[in-house]
Amino acid sequence: MLQIGQWLINFYESSVFAYGAILLLIYTMLAIFSFISIRKYLRRESCSDYHDLLKSALSPGISVIAPAFNEGLSIIMNVQSLLTLNYPIFEVLLINDGSTDNSMEQLIKVFELEKVDFAYNPKLHAKPIRGIYKSTNPAFSKLTVIDKINGKSKADAVNAGINVASFDYFVCTDVDCILEMDTLLKLIKPVMEESSRRIIAVGATLRTANSCDIDQGVIIQMKPPSKLLPKFQEMEYIRAFVLGKMGWNLINCIPNVSGGLGLFDKEIAIKAGGYDAQSFGEDMELLVRMCRYSGDNQIKYAVKYIPETLCWTEVPSTIKIFMRQRSRWARGLAQLMYAHFKMFFNPQYGRAGLITFPYNFFFELLAPIIEIVGLIYYLYLWISGRINTEYAVLLLLFVYSYSIMITTIAILWDQITFRYYKSWKDVLLLCATACLEIFLYHPMIVFFSIRGYYYFLTGKKHVWGDMQRQGFGQARKN
Amino acid sequence: MRNILVIDDDEIIQNVLDKVLTKEGFHIELAGNGKEGLSQIEKMAYDLVITDLMMPYANGFEIISRLKKHPNTANAAIIVISSITNEDSIMDGFKLGIDEYVRKPIIIGELVMRIKKLLSPRT
Amino acid sequence: MFESPYSFENLDVGQNPTWLNWFLSLPLVIQIAVVSILISTCFILYIQYRIWYIRFKNYIYNKRVKYIVPILDDLITEQIVLKSNASQNQFGEPAFNIPNQIRAEFRSRKYRQIIIDRIIKYQADFTGTIGTEMRNLYMELGLDKVSFRKMKSRKWEKKIRGIRELTNMDILIADVNILPLTNNKRQELRSEARNAYIKLSKNEPFKFFDVTTEPLLKWDQIELFKTITTTENIAIPNFARWVTYSNNKSVVAFCMELIVYYKQYDAAPAVVKLLENKDHLLRAQAINCLGKLKYEQAAPQLVHIYSNQPLNCRLEILKALGRMGNKENVTFLKQEFMYSTDFDIRKNAAKSIVRNSNKQQIDLLMESCTPENQLILKHNLNPLIKY
Repeated sequence: MLQIGQWLINFYESSVFAYGAILLLIYTMLAIFSFISIRKYLRRESCSDYHDLLKSALSPGISVIAPAFNEGLSIIMNVQSLLTLNYPIFEVLLINDGSTDNSMEQLIKVFELEKVDFAYNPKLHAKPIRGIYKSTNPAFSKLTVIDKINGKSKADAVNAGINVASFDYFVCTDVDCILEMDTLLKLIKPVMEESSRRIIAVGATLRTANSCDIDQGVIIQMKPPSKLLPKFQEMEYIRAFVLGKMGWNLINCIPNVSGGLGLFDKEIAIKAGGYDAQSFGEDMELLVRMCRYSGDNQIKYAVKYIPETLCWTEVPSTIKIFMRQRSRWARGLAQLMYAHFKMFFNPQYGRAGLITFPYNFFFELLAPIIEIVGLIYYLYLWISGRINTEYAVLLLLFVYSYSIMITTIAILWDQITFRYYKSWKDVLLLCATACLEIFLYHPMIVFFSIRGYYYFLTGKKHVWGDMQRQGFGQARKN
Repeated sequence: MRNILVIDDDEIIQNVLDKVLTKEGFHIELAGNGKEGLSQIEKMAYDLVITDLMMPYANGFEIISRLKKHPNTANAAIIVISSITNEDSIMDGFKLGIDEYVRKPIIIGELVMRIKKLLSPRT
Repeated sequence: MFESPYSFENLDVGQNPTWLNWFLSLPLVIQIAVVSILISTCFILYIQYRIWYIRFKNYIYNKRVKYIVPILDDLITEQIVLKSNASQNQFGEPAFNIPNQIRAEFRSRKYRQIIIDRIIKYQADFTGTIGTEMRNLYMELGLDKVSFRKMKSRKWEKKIRGIRELTNMDILIADVNILPLTNNKRQELRSEARNAYIKLSKNEPFKFFDVTTEPLLKWDQIELFKTITTTENIAIPNFARWVTYSNNKSVVAFCMELIVYYKQYDAAPAVVKLLENKDHLLRAQAINCLGKLKYEQAAPQLVHIYSNQPLNCRLEILKALGRMGNKENVTFLKQEFMYSTDFDIRKNAAKSIVRNSNKQQIDLLMESCTPENQLILKHNLNPLIKY
């Protein structure tokens, strides 16, 4: 009996050790892959001219879909900002998702809207549309406003937008995100450079707008956030996008295109069933379904990523809202894994089944659980005096220095693509934040993820709440 | 002296138009985007506004729409200078009441002739 | 937990420094951890240096731009822009009066790329006399040689930049320099070289359509389209030749775009033959092309093949019939509008009907159709709705 127990303990310890080692190797691999990927991208960009695309009659049309709920503080400015995108043929579909504030009144007044008889084919399920509005002023001919009954989720609103969209590609964004003016040009380029595979989605880097100097929806100067929690998130976003996703981009294994900004192939999105209103991680869930649909129908596909920052969004600045967000994401991930478990190590789905899905399962989904269990076990060993303190400290130092190195590499890759911050001090401060991550930020993520999994298992109702935005209306200079 | 407002975020266009049109005897004011342009028209009336379409804050069409409603520019001639050449954009421009749509790259001599022609009946 | 594979008996412990003894006494895994800590720390410091260095380089670059660009702009304003209506200089005389010190600065390694980029920006904004003078300035400063040297670089992206600078400035590149690059293993370089050849060469610019076997990327098509349609003095052939004989589908598709742009009506019969092609995407494009050309003779054939076509081709047929404007087709369009079960078919049929009917006919149709179809008609009648 004792022998079995000892064997189990050895097995557990070895597995955890192997798990940790593999994870560290994966990060090293991602760092190298992302470097190659970014260098390739920059070399191509240095000899690319977007003017031809801007002037061309052959450019494919893009529908920009932006759902909005109670964004009355800044909705006008956000729509104006979307209408300034540099692209020859596009439309902006603003979906008023049953707002209870005066969003609709403001929109009708400022953009001179009138209700029109619009015929569309509701291929995707969404709550009923009350009315579709177009502007009587030719200045706003690109704008279409859809007024619908609240569907209690962003997914429902975007589905309504997809039903009405006219073009073959759509960009999904949040109305409060600030997009770079050349966003559409940059997102469509990977689609147009591909000959053998169908590009079903393109994503780009997102960043926090929390402390940027913003004037009427235009970013004047980028700054990293001044508060600690958004600072952690900025650092995390840089690592996840610039290092993580660009690394996966090289081997066509991108796990997710963010809901804040993504370009999608409309036909595949519709055939895959559109966004799932029940999902808590609807953006990742749609991409998985699109990959699955492509796999089931023998469509050779790819998902591409661009390392440049094209979108700025306000991230949670209080722990309460941050907790809700991360629990929701964790819950969404658990849901996704459960719903699409058929893809697990399934060669029919190519790399998505053999690499992306297993990676997400082991190293994203299980990670918080393995960590918590490991931590408890570690504490038990420590209390019972079975830890060699010297070795323990060295191992911890190793993990600590390694994680700081990876984060600093990500920040370097980010600086290589573009010098976003005005001063070197800003960059240094962000690197310094990495030193605090393991003590402050990471435990929060682990705990909130476990909370999300718990809610998934118990099926508790999620409280969305308001983001309580500060709004980008006033010019803020910190 | 005729007042001309140039709204363009391209400083080369701003600079060249400023020098050439000043030499031709016009008074020129410059604005780098729609927001600056709209604050300029509060200060004085203009006979001609030359504007780009793709600029931050608000696109050129929205600016033109506001220019047409503002007393200082309601009667001004409007010339659009843009790289965009698709039919829809051009049609939208003329529906809004612009007078000329000039594609980049510009022939400066030709632009000057058009400006003079637009402004001459008002003498 | 982890046992060291080293045995201590063989080590002469007394000779080694303490830290080495300590290091060797550790288990392998911990040794790896210690080495990794050192590597990570050094790497972190190195990365911080790289970040600083990149920012410093950028700072220097911005400083140089701030210094040299106003000087160049003033020179251009004085000697080109404000003199653009003046008579041309005598042949052989230096056209620009540039002080020697400034001239040397413009040519120096520090500033010349900034100068080239700025001149190209002027070229993008202005043509005519200013455009020509910018080209003269570029050549007088010897910057064309700088661009030519880029073509000899080992880096493919530098080669592309060199070619692009020369094509932007309309500088002739000899066939012997550009043709080898059209067979380069790098796809981006091949396209750029091909593009340059079409723009600058006087001999058979379109011969690539005969030889290219790889698919033409949509991105390349856009650049090619722009080059072909904006280059002066280029002999535009009848693109029907490639529509009929090329095996490369993307070349065929691209030529159809050019046929539409140049309104080559004589090419229409060649496009009609594509209606029998096995590839449904090519067929759809051929139908689209015929519609935009308003080639009415094809209308009966389009109606005839309609029922055997996949959805995308059917939609193109409905659009094409609408563009062609034959009143005879309206009956067929009405039939599809009233009885088809597919929403997109009815919507496109309605659009074409609206295009070819007067108000009375539309009102009559409105009375006799279902509420959903009435909505489709209203949608197509509303001038505020574009698509």
